[in-house]
Amino acid sequence: MEIPYEVTPRRDTGLYNAKLGVWLFLASEVMLFGGLFSAYVFLRLGVQDGVDNPWPWGVSVHKNFVWLGAINTVVLIASSVGVVFAWVSVKERKWRNYQLWMYFVVACAAVFMCIKMVEYNSKLNHHHGIKLVDNSVMEGVIIDDTDKIRFSGEKVTFGLHSALPAVLRDLDDGEFPVFKVIDGPEETIGTELASESAFKSWFHENRRTFKKNLAEARKRYRAELAEGATPAPIEVKGTATVEASAPFSLHGDPRKILAHSDTTMNYRDGVKIEGKLISDDVIFEVHEVDMQLVLPQDQRESVVWEVISDDSAKQSFFTQQSKNYQEMAAYYEKRGEVIPEKMIRGRFLNVYYVHVPAEGSEGGEGHGEESDKHAAVHTSETNPAAGATGGEGHHGPSRHLVVPREQVKFMGNHGPRYGNYYAIYFTMTALHGIHVVGGALVLLYMVVFGKKLYLKNPEHLANRVEVGGLFWHFVDLIWIFLFPLMYLL
Amino acid sequence: MSAAAEHTHAESHDEHDHHEHYEPFWKKYIFSTDHKVIGLQYGFTALVFLAFGFFLMMVMRWSIAYPDRAVPLLADWPWFQAWLDDGGRVTGDLYNMFGAMHGTIMIFLGVVPLAFGAFGNYVTPLQIGAPDMAFPRLNMASYWLYLLGGVLMFVSFFLPSGAAKAGWTNYSPLATTTDLHYGDLFWTGQTQWLVGMVLLISSSLLGAVNFICTIINLRCRGMTWMRLPFFVWAMMVTGFLLLLAFPPLEVAAILQLVDRMAGTSFFVPTGLNVSGMAFDAAGGGSPLLYQHLFWFLAHPEVYVLILPALAIVAEIIPCNTRKPLWGYKTMVYAVMILGFLSFLVWAHHMYITGMGPAISTFFQTTTVLVSIPSVVLITSLLISMWGGSIRFNVPMLFATAFIPMFGIGGLTGLPLAFSLTDLHLHDTYYVIGHFHYMVAPGTIFGLFAGIYHWFPKITGRMMSARLGQLHFWPSLIFMNGIFAPMMIQGMAGFHRRAFDGGKAYEQLSNQVFAEPNSFLSNIAEMLNVIPADAPLRMIDLNIVTSGSAWLLAIFQVPFIINVFLSVFIGKKVTSDNPWDATTLEWATPTPPPHGNFASEPVAYRGPYEYSVPGAARDFSPQFEDDPSALSEGSAETAATTATEPGTR
Amino acid sequence: MAEVTHDFSKTKRTYAKVGIALGIFTIITVALGLFPPLDVGPPGPTPGDFLIGLSVATCKASLVALIFMHLNHERGLIYKLMLFTSILAFCLIVVTLFAGFDPIVEQYETLKTTGGWLLKLRPQ
Repeated sequence: MEIPYEVTPRRDTGLYNAKLGVWLFLASEVMLFGGLFSAYVFLRLGVQDGVDNPWPWGVSVHKNFVWLGAINTVVLIASSVGVVFAWVSVKERKWRNYQLWMYFVVACAAVFMCIKMVEYNSKLNHHHGIKLVDNSVMEGVIIDDTDKIRFSGEKVTFGLHSALPAVLRDLDDGEFPVFKVIDGPEETIGTELASESAFKSWFHENRRTFKKNLAEARKRYRAELAEGATPAPIEVKGTATVEASAPFSLHGDPRKILAHSDTTMNYRDGVKIEGKLISDDVIFEVHEVDMQLVLPQDQRESVVWEVISDDSAKQSFFTQQSKNYQEMAAYYEKRGEVIPEKMIRGRFLNVYYVHVPAEGSEGGEGHGEESDKHAAVHTSETNPAAGATGGEGHHGPSRHLVVPREQVKFMGNHGPRYGNYYAIYFTMTALHGIHVVGGALVLLYMVVFGKKLYLKNPEHLANRVEVGGLFWHFVDLIWIFLFPLMYLL
Repeated sequence: MSAAAEHTHAESHDEHDHHEHYEPFWKKYIFSTDHKVIGLQYGFTALVFLAFGFFLMMVMRWSIAYPDRAVPLLADWPWFQAWLDDGGRVTGDLYNMFGAMHGTIMIFLGVVPLAFGAFGNYVTPLQIGAPDMAFPRLNMASYWLYLLGGVLMFVSFFLPSGAAKAGWTNYSPLATTTDLHYGDLFWTGQTQWLVGMVLLISSSLLGAVNFICTIINLRCRGMTWMRLPFFVWAMMVTGFLLLLAFPPLEVAAILQLVDRMAGTSFFVPTGLNVSGMAFDAAGGGSPLLYQHLFWFLAHPEVYVLILPALAIVAEIIPCNTRKPLWGYKTMVYAVMILGFLSFLVWAHHMYITGMGPAISTFFQTTTVLVSIPSVVLITSLLISMWGGSIRFNVPMLFATAFIPMFGIGGLTGLPLAFSLTDLHLHDTYYVIGHFHYMVAPGTIFGLFAGIYHWFPKITGRMMSARLGQLHFWPSLIFMNGIFAPMMIQGMAGFHRRAFDGGKAYEQLSNQVFAEPNSFLSNIAEMLNVIPADAPLRMIDLNIVTSGSAWLLAIFQVPFIINVFLSVFIGKKVTSDNPWDATTLEWATPTPPPHGNFASEPVAYRGPYEYSVPGAARDFSPQFEDDPSALSEGSAETAATTATEPGTR
Repeated sequence: MAEVTHDFSKTKRTYAKVGIALGIFTIITVALGLFPPLDVGPPGPTPGDFLIGLSVATCKASLVALIFMHLNHERGLIYKLMLFTSILAFCLIVVTLFAGFDPIVEQYETLKTTGGWLLKLRPQ
């Protein structure tokens, strides 16, 4: 059985099957990215001033990475040209040229993804922010995972009804302690659980027993209920407590923790750990402060100044702010307009609190250079007073702030969680990246295993390359829109 | 060509096929690329899921009818144990889980795969005279993705968190914030629902690409656009609906997945509080965005559910009335307009979300407009029956019943199309009654009709008419027994999500439905529901509905028996065209071999030429070149297409 | 098997030219992004900057679609398909955006849901 129009186009439609198929697929891709762009527009225009996180301006986020984005654009365009030349090579029956062009395209895809990784890495590992309770935002770097709660645990209490306690995953590496059962199913009290696997098998066994007992008790309960009696309530012990032979340390992910105190830590899944709190302070290297979400009249009393406890910083902030205000007033006066409310409250009056990193300081590796530039930009362009502040930064300790956890409303790296700009940036570029990888794999397949088909029917191979190329150009086309929307505008 | 001649031909072809390409069982029936086998795989899987979705519904109906009694039969099953309360009653959590999964399974794993995947796959290439789908391996991938998605959905019931519990619509922020406390966020039902959906959507996209491409490019010689059977047209429109409406839902699913797994806030507004605590997210998202993306799919999805059934009925009615389909061209244009308009009506599901009146007006207008092509389609079907000599065999019974059921479903939709009346009816049982009239007695009857109609082609044996009757009549009665009371309750204000069926509001819902000792009350006493001298209240209708649902389940047993027994002991067909139908699928050997046609098929005329004046028989099949029965115009086209070698 | 019947040297020159044009457009895009032409006042892009930036992107996209994706050689079917798709994508973006639009409390709502952008776009 042979399916018609696999190679030659059908007369009345002018298309062979695969081409029609890929165009249909591209139509659905248009809707896919249409939905994503729809989300982008909806969310960006939907930002409410003073309530939601402001939508950052692409260039302001990417700073040094605009050029990486531009290089990526050129790389993708080059690869697109490569695909059409590969197609022409097959049409001209030049296998060698075809190979070269196709490998060129795949190499371009690899370069693209590498550059992407550089960007991701910088955002995920070298940029953090903390939103304080009054909505002022400090930008910088969280030092040494101190966003986690450090706790020294002794006893763990957990339910036997559902999954294995997730806390076991937060334990610091290589430190699974020897647990002893001190409360729980009676016959197991006193058992020593020497390893993780022993703990697991003990847990699963007792969960089974618990479920069996509960089932029996409920059967009894229903039977009594059916007889019309008021049944005695069911009492099957469903919790257990284990005690570690020696205190174990763990880094608790604050998103999984419901509440913690000096002696206990309660996880959201019901697990309770008793022991001693080591520290829950966040140690933060501050680079700049963003006050857009704080009302102007509240800015002098902001929590930020308590946290930073550096009067010169506060001074320079307000000096610069009034300077900016005067500039803006002059600008609008010249145009004969009143300054819009949004401008007074918005990001336009903000000044950044800049630290020049101390030489050879920890946490500065990898992004030291970047921070340098960063500082240079601000000192030269916006804030003459920042030089003085920066000078103090050289003395060391004031640069690393200790932020009490009660003051933190939200914190994290500049990953997708950080705000809707970051969310859609990561989602769309990652989805685009998946398309790039997928397309590159298909093209790679066509060149590595294409020789047989080339010898048999070069037109068929040309069709395949054309179809693969259509997809590839589409991926390029999406990037053409993503680049200005995400990096520039 | 006589029937006997056809048959010998078919047999010789079979033998030939058998010797030439022998395939092992797993390749022939499991990892097959043959569109017919894939169609059957889709069909069986979908029927299993339909039965499973039905089962979920029966448990829910128990909770609604008897909220204070233990669930019979199931209370001792270990899995149920964990989700029922101490007294063996259904808990809110279980009800929510079953409610969400009933909707999801019925729509995405049951009806769409059965209608589009099974019937579309089996019948479409046959009707256009193609040897297979345009991309057979893609077709197989589509099925396996569907199965994987379905299995994930099924497995999610057995996770510690249970399956998804936030409704089949999975609205954010509820869906985003549910079950977040589980240690392993990926293996929670809510997340698995999203993963499953992404797989199902991908499967549908592949399927849609394949269908459209097949219909456009693989039509056989002489099969011009206006000679396509209506079924093929409907499949093409359905394909476009899936192709273009599903990606936004995929976006919604991906964004919600990222919201859950990576903590973004696409759909999480600023300042969200969950259980009295500030929700730890950046905020700034919009729950409304989710609804837009969701309903951009989900409204066209309604037409994805209904069009294949309508198309099956449109095949069966002309065949059994021995008359051409009335207004074939009108129907084709109507179905295209219907498809287009269905993209522009999505926000009528969202009137109470606080949309502005301007946009509400826009959506009211488009919604009312979309009823015009629907009425055109249903009227054409009605008129097709006018004055015909109707054969009331089992498929025809189902097809006939489809029309009024679809009509009720459609007409009850009108009050929901206007934002003013929708304010009252939104989220009541009325809505449930309305769309179930569309999909249960509507679509499912259409699908049953299709199974009875094409079964002889698939297996070479007829299904039992007696069992078919036993299946049809009770189904018709109990379908209405389920959904008609819902309409009444809904107008009385019964909220659709109360897991105790409104028991908690009993004092408020005391409206009397029938006076004591009235006719209905006497019936109620006869059925041992309530004593005759008590008034029959709205809330007692819950029992009517639930009882009908369980009886409906019982009367599906004849169907199941019929399917399995008829494969082995059904009456053998004596010809390849047992219904004397006209479309191309009846030109194939029975059952059709891999590659379908014994010789290259040619379409000589339109699809529904029944009772052509002057013809020897009351049907003139598309595949028979019989000049005496040709009208002038079609003869001309056939001649031109035949001489043109490029246009096969 | 069809042999080489067509001379591709002209095609290749076209492709190379389009590649260069795309490169130039990229430089324009970056320049427009770094120094927004309409950004005379406060920092950040204005609706005008979006319009210009996206127009350049659309030019690039058209070049890719027409030349690289061979749309200039395709027949009506593909155009119809893409037209239909673009209408729907446009509806999805625009109608969704206007969902919050309420002529009764227009000023207030528009300001709230669009951060004042739509009001700015409206002729005064």
